[in-house]
Amino acid sequence: MNGQIVIMVFEVVGSGICVSSDDGQKVHDRIAAALRENIRIIISFQNVESLTSAFLNAAIGQLYGEFSEVLIRAGVSVVEMEQEDLALLKRVVEMAKEYFRDPERFKKACDDALEASDAD
Amino acid sequence: MKIFLQEINSDYEGFSRLIQLAAQTAGCYFDDVEIDMSQTGWIDANMCAPLGAILYKIGRDINSIQLTHVQPNVEAILSKNGFLCNYGWSRKKDTHGSTIEYKRFEPKDDRYFADYIETQMIGNGIPEMSPGLLKKFRESIYEIFSNSVIHSRTMLGIFSCGQYFHKKHRLDFSVVDLGIGICTNVHDRRGLVLSAEEAISWALEGKNTTKLGPIPGGLGLKLLREFIIENDGRIQIVSENGYWELSEGQVNTRAFPEPFPGTIVNIEINTADSKSYRLVSEIRSEDIF
Repeated sequence: MNGQIVIMVFEVVGSGICVSSDDGQKVHDRIAAALRENIRIIISFQNVESLTSAFLNAAIGQLYGEFSEVLIRAGVSVVEMEQEDLALLKRVVEMAKEYFRDPERFKKACDDALEASDAD
Repeated sequence: MKIFLQEINSDYEGFSRLIQLAAQTAGCYFDDVEIDMSQTGWIDANMCAPLGAILYKIGRDINSIQLTHVQPNVEAILSKNGFLCNYGWSRKKDTHGSTIEYKRFEPKDDRYFADYIETQMIGNGIPEMSPGLLKKFRESIYEIFSNSVIHSRTMLGIFSCGQYFHKKHRLDFSVVDLGIGICTNVHDRRGLVLSAEEAISWALEGKNTTKLGPIPGGLGLKLLREFIIENDGRIQIVSENGYWELSEGQVNTRAFPEPFPGTIVNIEINTADSKSYRLVSEIRSEDIF
C-alpha cells in the first residue's frame, strides 16, 4: 500500500458522541477515499464515549459494499477502542458481510459507489 | 370536538387509549379539539411522548388544541417535564430530579438529541446507575433514535420523554415517531406479508433487516433486546396495529383494532442493576475485519 494515514474519529465528528449515521458517513468518506488510493488507514477511536451500530454501519459496514474483504483487512485497522466497542464493531462487520452477500444489495451498493465517484 | 381522555399507563390499555385518540382526531382539520382530562387520574410521564406526538399531528392538521380540567397530580408531573408548556402552562421546577424532559426533535437533530440525553442523564443528577449500565443505557437510547430516523423516514419529528421512579429503581423512556411503521417496511422492503405484531417480532430476530441501499443495518433493535434481557428491564413496541412486549424474559404480542400512526418504543430499565457489562473474553482489534 502507498503509505498510511490516521483518522481521528473524534476530530471528524467533532465530539465523542458518535451515534448518527450522517456522522458515520463522514468517517466513511475519508476511509473510502484513502482506500481508493491504496493508502492504509488507521482509525483512532480515542476519546470516543458513545457509539451506535448506525454510526459504525455507515462508517465501516458499508465499506464491504465497495471493497473486498481482503483489501479492507489489509488496509484498515482500528486503535484506541474499548473492548465493548470492539465487540460492537465486530458484530457490525459480520452483519455487513452477511448483508452484502445478497447480490441485489451488493449490486445496488456498487452502482451507488460508482455514481458517487463519477460525481466527484 | 371534545374528547375525554382516561388514565394512561405504560401498558396495552394505555397505548390503546392513545391510539383511540389518534383515530378519533384523524379527520380533524381547522377544528377546535378539546382534550378533557377530568377523567385522567394518572399519566405515566414517559407516555407524554406518544401523547405529544398525537397532539402534534392534530396541530399539524391546523387544529387548535386545548387541554382542560387537568387534575392537580397530573398537572404537577406534566408541568415539571415541560409537556404542559406546549399547551399554555408554565414550567415547574423538578426538585426530585425524576423527570426526563419531554422534547420533540427533527430527524436531523441527532446532535441536539445527544446533548439532551447527556444533560438529562448526567447534568440532571439522575439516575444512580453504575458507569457500565449508564453507557449501555445511553447507547440503547441512541440506537432507538437512529432506528426511528432511518426506518420511519418521518417528516414530523421524533418525540421523547422519560421518568425515573426512585423507589422502584426503574427508569422509563419513550421514543416515538410518526413515520412509516415496521409492518409497512417489512412488507414494502422485504415482500413479507405479516401481521403488525409478527412484523415487530421479525425485526427483532436474528439478522433480519428492512435496510436497502449501501449502508447495512439491522443491529439496533437486537442490541436493545439483548441489553434489556440482561438488565431485567422491559421493552414495549407499538407500531401500526402491533403491540410487542418483552418483560421478565417473556415476549407477549397483541393487536390493536386501530393503528398507531408510527412507532413507539418504550424501554424500562432496572437502575439497581450492578452488572459491569464488561466482556468476558478479549477481542483483538486485528480480528475485527
